Amino acid sequence: MNLLRFFVQHHTEVLESSGEHLWLVGWSTLFAALIGVPLGILIAHRSRLDRPVLATANIIQTIPSLALFGFLLPVPWLGDRADRLAILALTLYALLPIIRNTYAGIRGVDAAVVEAGRGMGLTQSQLLLQVELPLALSVILSGVRIAMVISVGLATIAAAIGAGGLGEFIFRGLAMVDNRVILAGAIPAAVLALLADFGMGWIEKRLRPR
Amino acid sequence: MIRSRASLGLIVVCSVALLSCSSSHADRIVVGSKNFTESFILGELIAQQIEAHTNVKVERRFYLAGTYICQQAMLAGRIDIYPEYTGTALTAILKQGIARDKREVYERVKNEYERRFGLTLGPALGFNDTFAMEIRGEDARHLNVRTLSQAAALAPRWRAGFGYEFMERPDGYRGLVAAYGLRFAEQPRIMDLGLLARALKDRQIDFAGGNATDGLIPALDLVALEDDRHYFPPYEAVPVIRQQTLQLHPEIEGVLADLGGKISDEEMQKMNYAVDAQHRDSQDVVREFLKSKSLVP
Amino acid sequence: MIEFRDVSYGVNGIQVLSGLNLRVAHGEILVLLGRSGSGKTTTLKLVNRLVSPSSGQILVNGVPNDQVDVIRLRRGIGYVIQEAGLFPHFTVERNIGLVPKIEGWPEERIRARVQEMLQLVGLTPDLASRYPHQLSGGQRQRVGVARGLAADPAILLMDEPFGALDPLTRDELQREFLQLQQRVHKTVAFVTHDLREALRLGSRIALMEAGKLVTVLTPHEFLKSSDPWASAYVRAFGDGLESAANRGTS
Repeated sequence: MNLLRFFVQHHTEVLESSGEHLWLVGWSTLFAALIGVPLGILIAHRSRLDRPVLATANIIQTIPSLALFGFLLPVPWLGDRADRLAILALTLYALLPIIRNTYAGIRGVDAAVVEAGRGMGLTQSQLLLQVELPLALSVILSGVRIAMVISVGLATIAAAIGAGGLGEFIFRGLAMVDNRVILAGAIPAAVLALLADFGMGWIEKRLRPR
Repeated sequence: MIRSRASLGLIVVCSVALLSCSSSHADRIVVGSKNFTESFILGELIAQQIEAHTNVKVERRFYLAGTYICQQAMLAGRIDIYPEYTGTALTAILKQGIARDKREVYERVKNEYERRFGLTLGPALGFNDTFAMEIRGEDARHLNVRTLSQAAALAPRWRAGFGYEFMERPDGYRGLVAAYGLRFAEQPRIMDLGLLARALKDRQIDFAGGNATDGLIPALDLVALEDDRHYFPPYEAVPVIRQQTLQLHPEIEGVLADLGGKISDEEMQKMNYAVDAQHRDSQDVVREFLKSKSLVP
Repeated sequence: MIEFRDVSYGVNGIQVLSGLNLRVAHGEILVLLGRSGSGKTTTLKLVNRLVSPSSGQILVNGVPNDQVDVIRLRRGIGYVIQEAGLFPHFTVERNIGLVPKIEGWPEERIRARVQEMLQLVGLTPDLASRYPHQLSGGQRQRVGVARGLAADPAILLMDEPFGALDPLTRDELQREFLQLQQRVHKTVAFVTHDLREALRLGSRIALMEAGKLVTVLTPHEFLKSSDPWASAYVRAFGDGLESAANRGTS
């Protein structure tokens, strides 16, 4: 088949672009988790902060991604390197699912269990690390999974501002009016999203408390 | 707990693997281009030259969406070389004011690129794809008009047409009118660039703002007026290349040097015409050109 | 051992407790008996500072409990709640061994102690590696008691620990608890709404209603009391209370 032959001929480029794509998704998801999980824990414990934080993350999500990439372009240090900019923007988009799920996960831990722990003399950090986080882990990871899948999709748009990745194939294919080139970007991107979904889903299942 | 510890270990390993993905390709050279005909013709030219004269494998990444995209791809090492214009590099990437002297612009761009980006320029390919103010060939001959200064005298009888961008740019219409004291019969028409040449030929307009290497210039017997007051900035086509790539493949330097000055405005026009209007394959057109210049056997 | 001095507690405009003065003597089981909303659970939580009083003081071993490090306070008090509040992601062994672990006991000592506790509450050693969801309600509650006793605290706070169990199991656990107490002699504050349980287990019964302490009586006194609330309880619970007061059947 024509498409298959195209993939075989250009397999190095496709792999390279997939690598670039994973780079963008990997770093942004990591940063979002490093910021979002602690933030989610904070607002789960301090209920006064939950509305403003969740509302802010929500607002960020509603900004159309291409627009966000566009506003950030003129910013001095960011605009110099498109991949830097893309990673920042992707991190921002990944925040809401991670914060929200961390919040829900921690809140969802049986209050009686937490109180028993506190009554037994566990410190705040012991409660967090030994009770709340392990019990909330599956929900938190579900948030990370959602964030990753969203990122894989958004990262294709990042190619519009020069960040590379599989989106570049798509945009080039559009300019060339060549479906094979478009699909050389679109299919691996879809595969990556599915892999992220299944992979994380498997991990979640392993770590779910009985 | 052992099971979850193993799972966490797996996550860490995968994350590390994921985060260390980055593009590097020491064994190949990737040639990029923008998404318009002239750019990918030049890209193809560079690619075929490298293929013919070195053992390095060449990968083509054409149709990148614009100057910024190409620049980012260079910085990130996704492409190693692509054709740019000196004027564009100066204003769009280095964000400096335009200068008029070809040599000066070239030197400034080269120095800044080397200093700031780890990129360098090959020699200019020969033509200057700057703005070209076109009139019909017959008018040029009958009225004996060759330069823009001469045209200024006749402008009040003419209707002009320009592309949208030219009208908006500070170094476009406004500057032109100021530099030459042009006044046209009526407000210029704003049209799609692709339609300007036809409109000129069909006498809907008498003066059109196009590009110097537009393939339709020879095809439709149009004449590009000389910019005798040097109003338009130079847009010499140059290959931009990563210094790292040159270090890895020093033979490329010689290959690019061979291309220096080899393409005249007319020759570029002809190649553009062949691909755009005659719908010929760009690879064939480029191969023919290289043969004609004895650049390839 | 535990003393409440003029303790009041209000939250969100509701007065949950007012003017509570109460003592729990060393080695006794003081039962806090009352309806829902009587403030008995809050009273319990004031001891280990899960709740802080609006006014008044709670003294544990003669020291006001807000003047000691709260973590140390809590680790010295066993806390057993209804449905046990066991950590679902820990094995029985890890659950029971939790406080010893965070107190830094050596592994061996913890393991030995867990076995000891299992035996004490009548569970077989093989249950150590099971998870709470694999146990019956009765077994879970026993683990809860074992967990509360693991670090050998002097004081035990128990909040309706047998409330969610079926009558047979409840009876069994009450009986076993009495036997346990013979061996370990803890100072116990025990919350329940069940008069039968109160009569059976309590050295004294503190009757609470609407955040106020109504009266504190021994089981026998309670049965014969003319206090309106006490007699209301006795009436509500019907017959066979004397045998409960006589520490039930063995």
